[in-house]
Amino acid sequence: MTAYLIRRVLQSILVVFISAVATYVLLSFAPGGPMAGLRQIQQSGRFKITEEDIARIRASFELDLKLWVRFSRWLIGVPKGPVTIGGQEYFADVVVGCRKPIEAEILNSNGVPEIIVVGCKENVYMKDLVGRRTSKGILFGDFGLSWRILRDRPVSDLIESRLSKTLQLIGIETILSLIIGIPLGIYSAVRQYSKFDYIFTTLAFMGSAMPSFFFGLLLILLFSIIPKGAGLPYIPAGLSESVRDYTIPLIGDVVAGSVKDRTLHLILPVTVLTLINIAGWSRFIRASMLDVLRQDYVRTARAKGLREITVIMKHALRNALIPFVTIVVFTIPGLFSGAIITESIFAWPGMGRLYILALGDYDYPVAMAIFFILAVLTVIATLLRDIIYTIVDPRIRLT
Amino acid sequence: MTVSAPIEKLQAEAITIEERSPFQVVLRRFVRHRLAMISMAVMIIIFIITILAPYITTYQVDEINVNNYFVPFGTVDPDTGRVHYLGTDNIGRDYFSRLIYAGRISLTVALLSVFISEIVGVVVGAVSGFYGKWVDAVLMRFVEFMLTVPTLPLLLIISSMLLRNEDLIPIPESVLNFVGKIMLLNPRDTRNAVLIVVVLAGFGWLSAAQLMRGTVLSLREQTFVEASRSLGGTNIWIIMKHMIPNAMAPIIVDASLALAGYVVAEAALAFLGFGIQDPVPTWGNMLSATQTYMFDKPWLPLLPGIPIFICSLAFNYIGDGLRDALDPRLKL
Repeated sequence: MTAYLIRRVLQSILVVFISAVATYVLLSFAPGGPMAGLRQIQQSGRFKITEEDIARIRASFELDLKLWVRFSRWLIGVPKGPVTIGGQEYFADVVVGCRKPIEAEILNSNGVPEIIVVGCKENVYMKDLVGRRTSKGILFGDFGLSWRILRDRPVSDLIESRLSKTLQLIGIETILSLIIGIPLGIYSAVRQYSKFDYIFTTLAFMGSAMPSFFFGLLLILLFSIIPKGAGLPYIPAGLSESVRDYTIPLIGDVVAGSVKDRTLHLILPVTVLTLINIAGWSRFIRASMLDVLRQDYVRTARAKGLREITVIMKHALRNALIPFVTIVVFTIPGLFSGAIITESIFAWPGMGRLYILALGDYDYPVAMAIFFILAVLTVIATLLRDIIYTIVDPRIRLT
Repeated sequence: MTVSAPIEKLQAEAITIEERSPFQVVLRRFVRHRLAMISMAVMIIIFIITILAPYITTYQVDEINVNNYFVPFGTVDPDTGRVHYLGTDNIGRDYFSRLIYAGRISLTVALLSVFISEIVGVVVGAVSGFYGKWVDAVLMRFVEFMLTVPTLPLLLIISSMLLRNEDLIPIPESVLNFVGKIMLLNPRDTRNAVLIVVVLAGFGWLSAAQLMRGTVLSLREQTFVEASRSLGGTNIWIIMKHMIPNAMAPIIVDASLALAGYVVAEAALAFLGFGIQDPVPTWGNMLSATQTYMFDKPWLPLLPGIPIFICSLAFNYIGDGLRDALDPRLKL
């Protein structure tokens, strides 16, 4: 077991590392970084931008460094400069980048002009890195600085406030789905082929086929727009709290930013996430209950004369929950992905929406940080699932 | 004596069941799944409508009717006499025509993605399961790795990068022309759609490969494979002749469920702004483009949402029906 755990942890670290490298490289090749706009301004000729200005701006975004140097500084915060051992400096003259590249315009294979770097006028050496602002490295919880959304402010500032908003959504969603989904699944399995079971399976099937963005729009229309227009009590949609005070018929005045206001704003996004989640989870519980109810030990329990409720809750449910636990643990990172779409529909200021904003706005440090957090969460959840598997079901032995 | 003869004959007829081919058995079981049959009918109608798009629609996809923004349903254009059955959108394009062309594009994207991802998945899974050892280890570690990475965020990164740098993946001109003909788009706009297919299929083959590998692993131990090998069957022969046909049932079911997934995934990418981009209509980007008019013109975002839901539901029911028909014990 210990050997297995160590191996799995090492594997997980490798997965996180590879996905970090892959996405970093992908994003660094994506065009439209902070320099693209600058080049346009320069070509328009409205402002005088000297070569020195460009070099300075490139340096402030670390774009003058070589890809691997940038990546290493981003991931673990080194190299910060020459290594000093016993008063002696090493690697001071290693070239780590290019301050002023020589650019040339060529026609690529499609006949479109393209700017490529052909040489370097002024190198950046290791010793030049001393005194530069550097992050401590994403592995140590320092995500660097935002490029555009909150220019030159730490990414962690941005993420902190957003993360709690997303966790709020996902936490409530998970708890509600468990409270509602498990009993539904059990009841439907116990009363198999009943009218309830029939309606439940149909609705759950529809729920799992329902795209969340469409479902969200439907809810906004049905519970927010139409009742509001008709002067009925409605549920506010959009953002996590309103900007100014408002009045809802029957409910009364709501002060912007109050607990009441925030609770009202939670209702719709949580409903979308929860209903879609319940559809999946309760179908799973139903299937796994049906499986267990046919087992011999359930028949034995009934034959012993136990009450039906004891048979179901003690003998059947406990066994049915084994596979379910792993499903729940494994869907948790997926909840973050689901939150991306739901947050976009309701303009909920969470991590998912920030991620979309960052990708659309070329703020790659923010996008990378969020992706990194999601990757770590996914890997941890995968690991947890396998460990929980052995705890809830001692019959499984990991080797 | 004269009386008993016909009775014997009758009895003989009563106990003999008409012989049916495996295909007939499957077909009979599928037909019995009422919801799957309804879904099939619905999808056939949708396919026919989208195939006949140029004959049904009255406007071009990108034909802008200046100063006729948000006209109501059934407005007749005074100059040409053509009808805006579902009105126009925020920049005066005929909504009905766009919805139908969008269906054509969305469904083509889903079908192409399924086609590519299932073929890649079947080949990788078969090779991995059949050869085992290091081939299996390498391929399956890779699949596991891809499945541990959060899918939607990675999909978004990759598609945002590809959309901004369209020439990054070279796509042969002939492919663009071919797909463009199906989608009725010019090659330039097609590139965008093909890139989305590449992105979707690039992630989609993983589950198909795992499924195929599992099936092949259990088939490998079967006696008919042993028999074929003892008769001198080569590996390729065994894979093509025995493995793939026998593993078809779960793959077909997986494909129809995946179709539902791709229709939704394409729409979700477009909804988030990283899918097929605007002048080309898809259900997803029509929904996202008109989302802001939700408050006074709610039909604009709802209309493209309905076919997405219908297709997703129908493909799911068809998959369900196929699973029951092909192998009642099969669970996915």
